[in-house]
Amino acid sequence: MDRRNFTKLALAGIAGLVTAWTQPAQAQEIASPELIAAAKAEGKLVLYTANFAEVEQVVIKEFNKRFPEIKVEMVRAPGGQLITRVKTEAAAGKLIADIVDHSDRGLMLPLVDLFQDYAPPNAADYDPAALISPKLWPRLTAVWSIAYNTELVKDPPKTWMDLTKPQYDKQIGQVFAQSGGTTWTRIMFERQVLGEDYWAKQASTRPILYPSGAPMSDAMVRGEIGMGPLIYNAVYPKQKDGAPLKVVFPPEGVPANPYATGIPKTAKNVNAAKLYLNWCLSKEGQTFLIKEQGNLTSLKVVPVNPEGFDPKVVKVWYPNFDQYVKLHADWVAEWDKTFGYRQ
Amino acid sequence: MWANLWVVLLLAILGFLVIYPILMLLLGAFTDTNPVVDGIQLSHLSVTNFLVVLSNPNVAEALRNTMIVCGGGTAIAVAIGLLFSWIVVRTNTPFKGFIAAASILPLFAPPLVAGVAWAILGSPKTGLINTMFKWMGLDWRVDFYSLWGLVFVFGIYYAPYVYMFTASALRNMDPSLEEAAEISGASAFATLFSVTFPLIMPAIISGMLLSFIVMLGIYGIPAVLGSANNLAMLTTYIFKLTNWSPPLYNTAAAVAIILMVVTGALVFLQNKVISGRSYTTVAGKAFRPRSLDLGRWRWFTFALGIVYLLIVVVLPIFALIVAAFRKFMFIRDVSSLFDMRQYSMVHFDSIFDNPLTLRSIYNAVEVGVVTAVVGGVLAFAIGYTIHRTQVAGRRWIDLISTVPVAIPGLVVGVAYLWAWIGIPAGLYGTIWILALAFIARFMPDTVKALSTSFLQIHRELEEAAWVCGKGMFTTIRTIVLPLARPGVIASMTLLFVLAIRELGSSLFLYTSNTMVMSVLLLDYYEGGNLGKTAAFSLVQTVLLGVLIGGANWLSREATQSGVARTG
Repeated sequence: MDRRNFTKLALAGIAGLVTAWTQPAQAQEIASPELIAAAKAEGKLVLYTANFAEVEQVVIKEFNKRFPEIKVEMVRAPGGQLITRVKTEAAAGKLIADIVDHSDRGLMLPLVDLFQDYAPPNAADYDPAALISPKLWPRLTAVWSIAYNTELVKDPPKTWMDLTKPQYDKQIGQVFAQSGGTTWTRIMFERQVLGEDYWAKQASTRPILYPSGAPMSDAMVRGEIGMGPLIYNAVYPKQKDGAPLKVVFPPEGVPANPYATGIPKTAKNVNAAKLYLNWCLSKEGQTFLIKEQGNLTSLKVVPVNPEGFDPKVVKVWYPNFDQYVKLHADWVAEWDKTFGYRQ
Repeated sequence: MWANLWVVLLLAILGFLVIYPILMLLLGAFTDTNPVVDGIQLSHLSVTNFLVVLSNPNVAEALRNTMIVCGGGTAIAVAIGLLFSWIVVRTNTPFKGFIAAASILPLFAPPLVAGVAWAILGSPKTGLINTMFKWMGLDWRVDFYSLWGLVFVFGIYYAPYVYMFTASALRNMDPSLEEAAEISGASAFATLFSVTFPLIMPAIISGMLLSFIVMLGIYGIPAVLGSANNLAMLTTYIFKLTNWSPPLYNTAAAVAIILMVVTGALVFLQNKVISGRSYTTVAGKAFRPRSLDLGRWRWFTFALGIVYLLIVVVLPIFALIVAAFRKFMFIRDVSSLFDMRQYSMVHFDSIFDNPLTLRSIYNAVEVGVVTAVVGGVLAFAIGYTIHRTQVAGRRWIDLISTVPVAIPGLVVGVAYLWAWIGIPAGLYGTIWILALAFIARFMPDTVKALSTSFLQIHRELEEAAWVCGKGMFTTIRTIVLPLARPGVIASMTLLFVLAIRELGSSLFLYTSNTMVMSVLLLDYYEGGNLGKTAAFSLVQTVLLGVLIGGANWLSREATQSGVARTG
């Protein structure tokens, strides 16, 4: 055996050993064998989420590739309805959810006593600023972008300020402020970063208002509107399928909104719930949520960036959580007035 | 003694199904608390929610839009319904059976599906109708994202309510009065307006008010067509209130009470109008409704039937098919519309890839069957008690069972949740809570539908059975039930269809394993995928078609065997 062959063999051996070690190590990263066994014994979990059903379905499918024995039953409702349901069920002692996953951290904070202590194995890897309580975790971190229909818009906007240009009169879509935590983050950003008069300037282009990002992105595909601010995860899957959409991450910064996700004290399938959250919050899960769905992450070390997103160029903006709670009612009311949104 | 017990039992059931949830709704409207979370706190009672709501100009605007859309829609519905009932019953138009069938088809379209279809057709920027106009070089443009668009869509979809009432009235009318008018020299046209229509006025008014009331509660159509221009109606406004973060249920409950007051006033008006005067035109002698010979004009009336069918069935289904099979709904021009490379099964694959789809179909059918059977039995008991017995308290039973007509489904869902979640037997999380909500909500429709068949059975038949020494239950089983069977099956079918279509009250009552079709459809719509929404709408339409066809066949069988038995 000459030296080159020996080296090859040795390297192959080491590689084999490394693979053999890391595979259980990766599984360990998500959960202990005991937890996995207990979760399998439960066999299912009930997930309450404010995420869109079809988006979450893809996440569940990916989770099931890894853990096919665990059935995830989902109840999806818009933010407001979800909170009412959780409160009412909890008060009647009938909270069915094993996981509650919500986009508005401000609405989740008052419910924090309903939740049990939970932290994923990689808890230390998370940015503490994204957590409003040690019980509630940023399973998803959604990021805003400006999207446009490439068939319709030949001179696309490049900055947030471009969305105030008169040339885009009646071509812009907007999700209204009242719709939930993600949108609230954006309008906070607009006022605090782009200027006190940004709303008024934007409103003068007479945008069409939508109840949420999903129908707005669909309207953009159809050409009902040409452009507008959209959460990247509402655009990205469509873009991947070949829809005539493109996004820009404007240089003034992009607002991001971490979710708050936790396991209620009353959860019946605690182990399955832990396994699902552990997986979603793991490097593997977050990578999937970033690469396949166009989210960001609240991990301190970012495993990968969504397509078209360059962290060296784009500044991510997180809201100050105190202000996020305190300013909400007044600012949303002012926004409604500025945009002539009836409430 | 037994009679009293029976009345108490029925009143208890109605109290649980109707009164208790309404009290919860009132409590919600008069407080700022969630009765389940905060407990029932009568000390917090105030009219603040009402003052807030009444002083809000946007509520006034939503109310105004509602009145314009429902009023305009009713006008169109009356014109269409009356025209077609006259064509079908009183003229020699060819293929009348076909026109009669077309006239009631829109009843089966869930409002959200109708809304989506008309958004695809009538959007000012991307609608297929405008694309066609452009292609034909015409300078016409339609805009269904407007009040007039809503009026039109409401009008064409709710015409069947008017049709059903007026067609049966025309059929049962003694033509001798019309003959008298014509002998006195009145033209056919003058006779129509001076004799025929005035005589069936109660039916016209009933149909008119019913269609108006139904339109008041519709959410799906304005939700889709009104959102682009922020046109609020009361239902969409209520939905928005429950949807915001944070949600404003108590305000929503207050708005719902306004809607209930409007509806209640209309129901009262309807009863007043009908009971105030005598419109007896059905005499004891045998007659055949006259058929007017239209000459060549019969092809014109036939063409009207075809146009209606085209507008309410063919065009919307075409739009749904395009959207369901097309990968993306960006349609630049007509040639792109017919570019077959754009079409695939991808949306169907993706909805059936979702395990919730099959589950929701299964659940919806299960809830539909439970609702139809239990609701049908209850409605039979109530109808029989009201119309065939003299027991004290039957007026109350009648009144309470009519109340749900006035309650909008969107808010009553929350009231049902508040009312029933605490019940120890564990109703919540099962399909029974959905079924009970539907039974309560559609009780007025079912009882009314059944009542007609009770009224047709002469008392002598029952009396004969009693004389022969049969007991009450044997009489019902051997005489009433067989004779009323077509009516019972028809009202159960109605209940089944209504239960499968119902969206508003399901939203708060479904849980992870009791998801139903209508909720999943809204999910697809809100999830922003028109292709999947259209694909699932088509699945739902086909399914309803098959089920209704089956039920129809069943009831025809039942009618035939029923006739055989009485013969």
